Amino acid sequence: MKKHAIIMAGLAASALGGCIQVKAPDKPIEINLNVKVQQEVVVRLQRDAQDLIQNNPELFPQ
Amino acid sequence: MTRKMLIIAAGAAVALATGFAMTAPARAQTGAVASAMAAGTVGEQADGYLGIAGTVSADVRAEVESINIKRRAAYTQLASQRGVTVQDVAAATGCQTLSSRVKTGQAYRIGAGAWQTKGAGAIALPSYCATAG
Repeated sequence: MKKHAIIMAGLAASALGGCIQVKAPDKPIEINLNVKVQQEVVVRLQRDAQDLIQNNPELFPQ
Repeated sequence: MTRKMLIIAAGAAVALATGFAMTAPARAQTGAVASAMAAGTVGEQADGYLGIAGTVSADVRAEVESINIKRRAAYTQLASQRGVTVQDVAAATGCQTLSSRVKTGQAYRIGAGAWQTKGAGAIALPSYCATAG
């Protein structure tokens, strides 16, 4: 029964034009990591930014 | 002995002179800008700089520009110390000003968006401001 199904599937595949083609994309795949990198940097700088504000009150009027 | 004292005296004189030079104009400056901020015509921006949110005098405008130039210098210095971009330092500072310095009723702006007035609640900060432990 299972064997039959496999044979049938194989026949169907060959009937549909042979093998499955995997084609490499023309353009390189780009993964944009800029946003994440910026987020990590900004989080790391929060403490520095706090100090900068406190040490330069004339630049940060309220 | 005498030479050492001379150097100390000279150092003190320089410190005094620069101290006076720094504080006198800075006070006059922040007063007008602080009033404009209270009035909602000048506000903090998420990019770490002050912006003009309404109608202001030429003096206030000039003072805002002057403060922004000094901020940029401070950001540039910290950026080179930390090996990051000036923009990152400015953005991190913007997170701080928006989260803890802008008072209720004052104007603020995120990105190129419209000026908003801070309400009773906290300002919805840009996602990159998230503080990680």
